[in-house]
Amino acid sequence: MNSLKTVGHPTSRIDAQKRVTGTATYTGDLRLPGMLYARVLRSPHPHARIKRIDLSKAQALPGVKTILTHENCDVIWGSGDMRNKRYLFNNPVRFVGDAVAAVAAVDRHTAEEATGLIEVEYEKLPFVLDPEDALKTGAVEIQPGGNLSTNARGQHEPETYRRGNIETGFAAADRVFEDQYSSPHINNAQLEPRVAIAQWDGDHLTVFTPTQGISNCHTEIARDLKLAPEKVRVVCQFMGGGFGNKNQNHDFELMAAILAKNAGAPVKIEFTRKEDFLSVHGRWPTKQYYKIGVRNDGTLTAIQLRGYSGMGPYRKGTGGIAGIEIYQCPHVERMVSPVYTNKAVSANLRGPDYPQGVFGLESLMDDIAASLKMDPLEFRLKNMTRKFQDQTPYTSIGLEDCLRKGAEAFEWKQRWRAPGEKTGPVRRGVGVAMGSFGSNLGRSSAVIDVDSHGMYHVHVGVTDIGTAAKTTMALIAAEELGVGLDKIDLISGDTDRCPYSVGESGSRTTVQTGMAVVQAAKELKEQIAEKGLPPGNDVLTATVNLNPPALNGQARVSFVAHFAEVEIDIEMGHVKVTKYVAAHDSGRVVNPLTAESQVKGGATMGIGMALHEELLYDRASGLPLTAGYYGARIMTHLDTPEVDVLWIQTDDPYGPFGAKTLGEPTIIPSPAAVANAIYNAIGKRVKDLPITRDKVLGVLA
Amino acid sequence: MKISRRKFVEGTGGGLVATTVPLQAQTAAEPPKTTIKITVNGTVHRIEVEDRWTLAEVLRDHLGLTGSKIGCDRGECGACTVLLDGKNVYSCSQLAVWADGRTVQTVEGLAQNGKLDPLQEAFIEHDGPQCGFCTSGQLMSAKALLNRHPHPDRDQVRHAMTGNICRCGNYNHYVESVLAAAGTLSADARRKA
Repeated sequence: MNSLKTVGHPTSRIDAQKRVTGTATYTGDLRLPGMLYARVLRSPHPHARIKRIDLSKAQALPGVKTILTHENCDVIWGSGDMRNKRYLFNNPVRFVGDAVAAVAAVDRHTAEEATGLIEVEYEKLPFVLDPEDALKTGAVEIQPGGNLSTNARGQHEPETYRRGNIETGFAAADRVFEDQYSSPHINNAQLEPRVAIAQWDGDHLTVFTPTQGISNCHTEIARDLKLAPEKVRVVCQFMGGGFGNKNQNHDFELMAAILAKNAGAPVKIEFTRKEDFLSVHGRWPTKQYYKIGVRNDGTLTAIQLRGYSGMGPYRKGTGGIAGIEIYQCPHVERMVSPVYTNKAVSANLRGPDYPQGVFGLESLMDDIAASLKMDPLEFRLKNMTRKFQDQTPYTSIGLEDCLRKGAEAFEWKQRWRAPGEKTGPVRRGVGVAMGSFGSNLGRSSAVIDVDSHGMYHVHVGVTDIGTAAKTTMALIAAEELGVGLDKIDLISGDTDRCPYSVGESGSRTTVQTGMAVVQAAKELKEQIAEKGLPPGNDVLTATVNLNPPALNGQARVSFVAHFAEVEIDIEMGHVKVTKYVAAHDSGRVVNPLTAESQVKGGATMGIGMALHEELLYDRASGLPLTAGYYGARIMTHLDTPEVDVLWIQTDDPYGPFGAKTLGEPTIIPSPAAVANAIYNAIGKRVKDLPITRDKVLGVLA
Repeated sequence: MKISRRKFVEGTGGGLVATTVPLQAQTAAEPPKTTIKITVNGTVHRIEVEDRWTLAEVLRDHLGLTGSKIGCDRGECGACTVLLDGKNVYSCSQLAVWADGRTVQTVEGLAQNGKLDPLQEAFIEHDGPQCGFCTSGQLMSAKALLNRHPHPDRDQVRHAMTGNICRCGNYNHYVESVLAAAGTLSADARRKA
């Protein structure tokens, strides 16, 4: 691959100085004159009908300005549920944390006090927590039409994918393996809790909010409040992470807007950390039944998955259980049922459909390799995907190198011993897992101006959720324009100043908005070649709205293989990750410095998913027990190993300068790699995430 | 019968833990107030605070120092870490009245005369912050460490900063940054190899 001038070189973030001096302004740091504070009262019951709400005591508290409940607010939060009507305030309430009322008052203490003075009479309803229980006859119906949510065609049937004929595949197998796995609800747990400020100027609404996508947030706020889009402005200059739960518009933005309208003053709404854990959304919990057919030489003949995903009571995400496409196999059947439950709502969290699906799949593949007495690395090299779903060629594929060169960097051959061969109180083991993530191109926009001083003003609708998207866009612009980074002025995060962007989800910013930046820069260069730099106060402008390119019948996918070594104290059940190598094919890496941060972060989050995180519920009362950083046991400095990052750079013909997708794939194989390392160390398989001490001791007992 | 801690918590134990305590109806009396004197980043402030205000709240809402972030407001994440008489504390878990007569340093007080602290320089160079929301807290815990221990090794840095959560998971780069600022990065690399 040819070397470039700006792209591909490790570069500090263009806004790094603000991030280290406390001068980066996040939404919660803003204060507007006369601003009120809002707090939300939430259901303490997993399922209940609200019989009566008495606001009189709360309203009598000095400083309380306005209160919203289901009785005086029937606004539908369109993005809160893609199947059913989800109001901002629902009756019945369907999970612990469902919003019951929102109070705006002169300060946050008064608002909080007022929520405690609201009297609510509930009629408790039966509830169900487990998706398989929710499908049993006689289970309480959470949404009209039953607890099995609908598939993409609107039918109350599982989401189904088939290739070949699964029975033919099992008939062709020498051996058939079956097992079941589960993964829990875990929270995105981004450091910045939810906060928004809404301000009205006549009939114009401005919402300051930490969103992953200003464009979608903007159009969806307008949709839900029945406003013309041009009357709404969304601003997000800095935001403190989201990992998938700050895309689209949110209930708190709508609540702030309505409270501000009613009170005639700007309103800042704040969620507590506990509310953020319970009332927004996290990764869907799953139950997975895998059945795999294989020949004695290790060739796969059939993969079947029957899965159930707990969506909470509202359908905000797909509930997918994915990953089978990393294997080449002629006969595949996947049936996944997204099911309503009375737990916290589930939707996107980094690599949404994949890490849990890959955990189950790669666990069983590892067991198969062990049964066939094959090295699990060789088993994967033999069976890894060559074409997407065995049919469609990839635009570029570096998976084999991820496995081979990753194994070399990890010293796999020296470290791997067959499972269960270890003895002594502390046992070491190694594991490998692989993954992939679609890197599709979609519609995107960019506007670039150049002024008489040769300064380039790049307008893009990104917000930078921590991925360094602002820097990436600036690097791409500088490269294509052939100027230094100091000649780029990046304008982002404001719908009044920036064109459409898909939003920072699905790892789409670099490949989509980045492609529009490339195209706009090309057009601007042509204008400059023709006219020269503009005189005086004039500017030249290039505007690009790019439709996705035809991939000529190919699939564009990023690939990854992770290798983990663990040390297990078999008396205490404690697992420590001692070595970790992450090999990634994300095409050309635009900024190796910040890209490395993303890989380290995704792997770390995946180790937490493997070993720590779970939102536990009390089965008797339906109450959540572990909401918060301490309860979720989010990874800390002391838990985190050194993650060595290895780039397998393919030059993808369709991305900006050969780039593919990066952020989401970083977590995909991580829980599976750790789980496989644990199996390798102790010769026993833990099939339910997270792999906590009690489970390790349980399989050893 | 085998009973694990997890199964116990999920089963009977949780019911006890989760028993709800009825909220006492609050009266609308004026909250008690106290005038305190605190020195923040070298400037002396005399302010009247409500006794229920946390130090984080006073710094952010009343002194305009919003560099310290509130991630959890319950002493779990460390985003609000400041130095109180040189010691790193969670400012969300300190009442403002407790800081009366004491000295506070926040992230805004790290740079001196427009020159960044070596920690800040290193955080930029090694890409410490991703979303940046935990960064001020990471910096202040690192500052407290280097104040008492100018040349730490990797494990000492990890121990000193383990109360600062980074959900972006950039711990490797944070540790590397602190070692670089302390001038112990290359020694540490040699030790590792």
